[in-house]
Order: sequence, then structure tokens, then C-alpha cells
Amino acid sequence: MDVPTEEEHLLYSQRPEWADVLPLEQYENITPLAPIFYTDEYKDATNYFRGIVKSEEMTPRVLELTEDIIRQNPGHYSAWQYRYKTLMALKCPLDDELKLMDELAVKHLKTYQVWHHRRLLVQQTRNPGPELEFIANSLQNDMKNYHTWSYRQWILAYFNDDELWSHELDFVESMLEADVRNNSAWHHRFFIAFQSGVRNGDQDRDAIVRRELAFVKERIAVAPNNASAWNYLRGILDHAKTPYSELQAFVKPYSLPQPPFGTPPEVVDLEDPLPSKEAQLPCVAAIEFMADIYEEAGSGDLMKATELWRSLANEHDTMRRRYWEYRIKEASKTIKI
Amino acid sequence: MTTSLLVPLHVAYIRALGNSKDELSYHLSAHLRMNAVYWGLTALCIMGHKDALDRDEMVDFVMSCWDEEAGAFGAHPDHDAHLHSTLNAIQILLMQDALARVDVDRVVKFILSLQQPSGIFAGDAFGETDTRFLYCAVNALSLLGRLHELDVEKTVAYIRRCRNFDGGFGAIADAESHAARVFVCVATLAIVDRLDEIDQPTLCWWLSERQLPNGGLNGRPEKLEDVCYSFWVLSALSILGKLTWIDASKLEAFIHSAQDIESGGIADRPGDVPDVFHTLFGVAGLSLLGYPALMDLDPVYCMPASIIEKLGLRKGWKALQRRTA
Repeated sequence: MDVPTEEEHLLYSQRPEWADVLPLEQYENITPLAPIFYTDEYKDATNYFRGIVKSEEMTPRVLELTEDIIRQNPGHYSAWQYRYKTLMALKCPLDDELKLMDELAVKHLKTYQVWHHRRLLVQQTRNPGPELEFIANSLQNDMKNYHTWSYRQWILAYFNDDELWSHELDFVESMLEADVRNNSAWHHRFFIAFQSGVRNGDQDRDAIVRRELAFVKERIAVAPNNASAWNYLRGILDHAKTPYSELQAFVKPYSLPQPPFGTPPEVVDLEDPLPSKEAQLPCVAAIEFMADIYEEAGSGDLMKATELWRSLANEHDTMRRRYWEYRIKEASKTIKI
Repeated sequence: MTTSLLVPLHVAYIRALGNSKDELSYHLSAHLRMNAVYWGLTALCIMGHKDALDRDEMVDFVMSCWDEEAGAFGAHPDHDAHLHSTLNAIQILLMQDALARVDVDRVVKFILSLQQPSGIFAGDAFGETDTRFLYCAVNALSLLGRLHELDVEKTVAYIRRCRNFDGGFGAIADAESHAARVFVCVATLAIVDRLDEIDQPTLCWWLSERQLPNGGLNGRPEKLEDVCYSFWVLSALSILGKLTWIDASKLEAFIHSAQDIESGGIADRPGDVPDVFHTLFGVAGLSLLGYPALMDLDPVYCMPASIIEKLGLRKGWKALQRRTA
């Protein structure tokens, strides 16, 4: 018998080893809203799928069939469900299944089911190390893929293994090296540093805060117009209950235009890195930050805050004019009291 | 440069969806069929053309998706029951005044069975969990008048775990803030009257920051604009009473430019292929922005406001005033 080539793909209905299965057509006795136009292959495969579901068959050929369906349509959630049940019933080696999933994931990164299936598998294999490697590789193709990052967070939290955690900071730093504006990476860093409990060696929380402040300041210095970095900075301060005013010396230069050409350079301050000469200034987030500092200080400084908000509304961030006007109005209520 | 919503074209586009010439993509999206019907019908309702699709055919289709074993609705006949399709089925039947066809007790049982010990909801027996399923569950229970059977504390406790340092919410605990998940969490909290769980100043600012220089909205920092965020972001802001923080005229212009002026329908961004998902969310966004001659949309339930009001479920959201042409 000839091995079928691409053009000669044999339908299940043409294969003698499937002759014992009763395929079930879509829409038995039901008139559809609009008739579905199938390719013959998909129709054939799903007919046979309905057949084996009805007879509750869980055999190796079911794995072949469900793989066929998933390759054509990764969104077919019933096929995924049934495949998983079959894998469990047959006690299949799950590492092989994961290897197969590695291949499918590349093609279908944005499909929920692909990641959820892995989650179920790794809960069985209890071997998360290779998963972190797989995730890192898969992120190379799509650095902000939401499911991928969320899966990584789940693995770390679920297994909560110090060895797994120990490499995370390096990992996220390399991602930020590749793209300092990767919001997913910034979020992940916050998760590692502040939202995943206290691990061995990280008991000095003040040291962690100092380390993270130094890190984000350096990144802001390199590329100040980066919303994620400023959100991160605020996140650290809120978490550590540090007043924003403590960052005034660092932030102020970013809220001003670039000094004119020929201005002698400032003394280098390692604590408060200055914006690079190429940076586009003033930076909207820095102006906003300064306004927040002045607003917090209150009384006389409220006028300074208002001036900054006005400059944002009228010049630097006109898109959000209504928001800045709201801030002015709210602050003026305080003055009146 | 299109500067208005091409209603007749979009109505025709939705009507023609059943006769898709692109056969492959149509059948590959069978697992979205119930969702697609809901998106299409809701868009028609907002545009004032509810009767463009046959009511009886639609109701029959919905009922044909009933999974007798599970006691709920799948996305397509013989697909397993799923929370998302179940919500959409209920919404369609409400819009078509046919809810009496549903075995409500069984549906409620199905919905409640999907809540996990942590408070999150799975979408189906497969177990995928996501805050959007939490929203599907709470929305559906509320529409069915059975919200009192929900463990609200447990549900709210899980949402609290999804709240991030930037004020936003993610898909599961520890996940990155994302505008669509912000919507589902905010809308859920609105339904159970727990908007106090939100850091409103920070979140509303984060939402207004989604607007890009081209007027469109993105879902998280440094990502591309997409018409669907016109709904996710706008509805969240509308629920929190800060819809004015978006530049409305710039966003309207962006949505208009994403229309397909030949075949009808709205795409994710200008120049791309339209689909019924983005058509609904573009129209929904315009409705919230007060675009003339559209029906009011309830942003909490993403359904015609008149239906939600009749059910006594209207919450304190604020849309922009509807302009006369």
C-alpha cells in the first residue's frame, strides 16, 4: 500500500483500520442558522471524533485523531479536553506529549488551549525546569505574549522552588536588555521582587528596595520616555511606603528641557543618574511626578503643581487635557478649604 | 477619509456573515459561533437594526447549542458547554425575548459548579481559569436573577489578588495588567457593588494613558492600538465615571478610519480585514462616546441599556451625552 503523500491524504473514512468507528455528522436533525462549509478533511476528522466520543474510546489512534484536529483548529476545545483524558487513561509518557506541544506552540502561540494543556501536563510531570527554558525560547519569537508570561508566573508560584526562582532576576534583566519598554518584563520583575513572598537570601527587604530603585533609575536614564519604568518606580515607592519627595533630586532634571548646548556637564552622581544627551526632554512622566510631589507637599507648592499640570494640558500631553484639568480642579478645592 | 459610521454597510456585513465565502476560516471558528452571533446581534441592536437577522432562526440556533448532559450552552451544536457561550446564549435570548426557553436552574447549577476554591471561575471542565470567566459567571447569574446564590466574598477576594501595582488587573493572580481584564474585573465589581476594591485614581489614569497619538487605544503600555480597546477601556472608564479622560474626537476618528468602506465591518486598525468582533466593539465604543443615532449601550453588561434597565440592573455608569446629528 502506498504511503499517502500530501496530496493523497487519506480520509479516516478511507482507512480500513477506522472501519469499526461510526462517524457522526454535524447537525443530526437540526437545521443550522447558516450551513457550515467544511473542508472535507476537517469534516471527516470531526465526524470520526464525534464517533469515538460517543463510544468513549480512549486508545492511541484517538491521540492521532485529536492531534489531527488540533493541528487544523487549535481552538477546538473539546478535542483538547478529550485528548488530555485519553493521555491520562493510557498513562502516556508526558514528556513526549510536551515535545509535541513545543512544536504546536510555535505555530499557535496566541491560543489559550495550547498553554492550558501544558499546565495540565506539567502538573503531572512535576518537572518545571524545562518548561522555563521552553518559555524563554518561545518568548524570543513574541516577547510580550501574554499567555507565555502568565504561564511563567504560574509555574514559579505553583512549584515555588528556590532553585527555579534563583535565575529569574537574570532572566528578566536579559529581557529588559533586549527591550527596555517591554511592559510584561517590568511586570514580571515586580512580581519576582515584591509579590512572591520572601525567599532565602532576600530577607533584607530594604536592600531589595534599594536595588530595585537603582535598577529602574538607570533604565530611566537610558530611555526616560518609558511609561513602564515610571509605573515601576511608583510601584516600588508605594510598596515601600516611601514618599515621592525623596526622589525629587533624581526626577527634577527629567522634567526640564535639555540644557542648552555648551552647558558644562553636571558632576556625575551615581545615586541619581542624569538623562543621556540624546533623551527627549522634558519627559511627561517626570513632570507628572514633580507635580505629585508638590501636591503632596501642599500649601504654597500647590501653585507649582498647578503650573506643571497646566503645562501638560496645554503643551506636553494635550491628549489627556481633561485629566490634567481634573487634577487642577481637585487641588484647587484643597486650597479653598 | 471616512468621518462617519457607515451603518447600512455594517448591517449588510453582519447579515452576510452566514454566507461566508471564505469557508475555511468560517468552519475553523465554529468554537466561536455563539460568540459571533452575540457580537453581531448586539451590534445590530446598537445600530437600531435588530431585525436584520431572523429572530426565530437565531433562537433555534441558540437552543441547538444546548448541552443536555452539562445543562448549559456550547459554542456550536455538539460542542461541550462553556461559560462564555452560556453567557452569550442568555444575552441573545434576552435580546430576542426568548429567555423562557432556558432551564434556568440547570444553567445556574452549571455556572456555580465552575467556581474554584480560590474564587476564580473555570471556563469549562477543561479547567482553564481566567478573570474573564469570572465576569461571564457573574454577568450571567445577574441576568438570570440568581446573583444571590454567588459567594461574593470569595469572588471579590480573587479579584483582589489580580490587582497589580499599576492599579490594573490581569487574567489570573500575578498576571500583567491588561485592559480587557481591567474591564471584566471592573464590570464584575460593579455588578456586585464592590467598586471600593479599585484604586480608582491610579486605574483611571492608567486607562487614559492607553490613548496613543493616533487616537486609538492599546491594551497595555507600548503595545499597538486596537479598536476593541475602544470598548474595554471606555466601558471601564464609564463605569468609574471618568470617560471624559479620553480624547473623544480623536478616538472617534480612529474608529471611523478602521471601517472597511467596501465590504462593511470594522477591523482592529485601519487597513486590516474586518470581523464581527471588532465591528461590535467599534460600534459599542461610539455609542458610549455619544455618537448620534445609536442606541444606548450598558457598559457593565455590554447589552442594550433599555433591556438592562427593564431588568432593574442598571448601575451608576456615565456615558457621554448622545449628540444630535
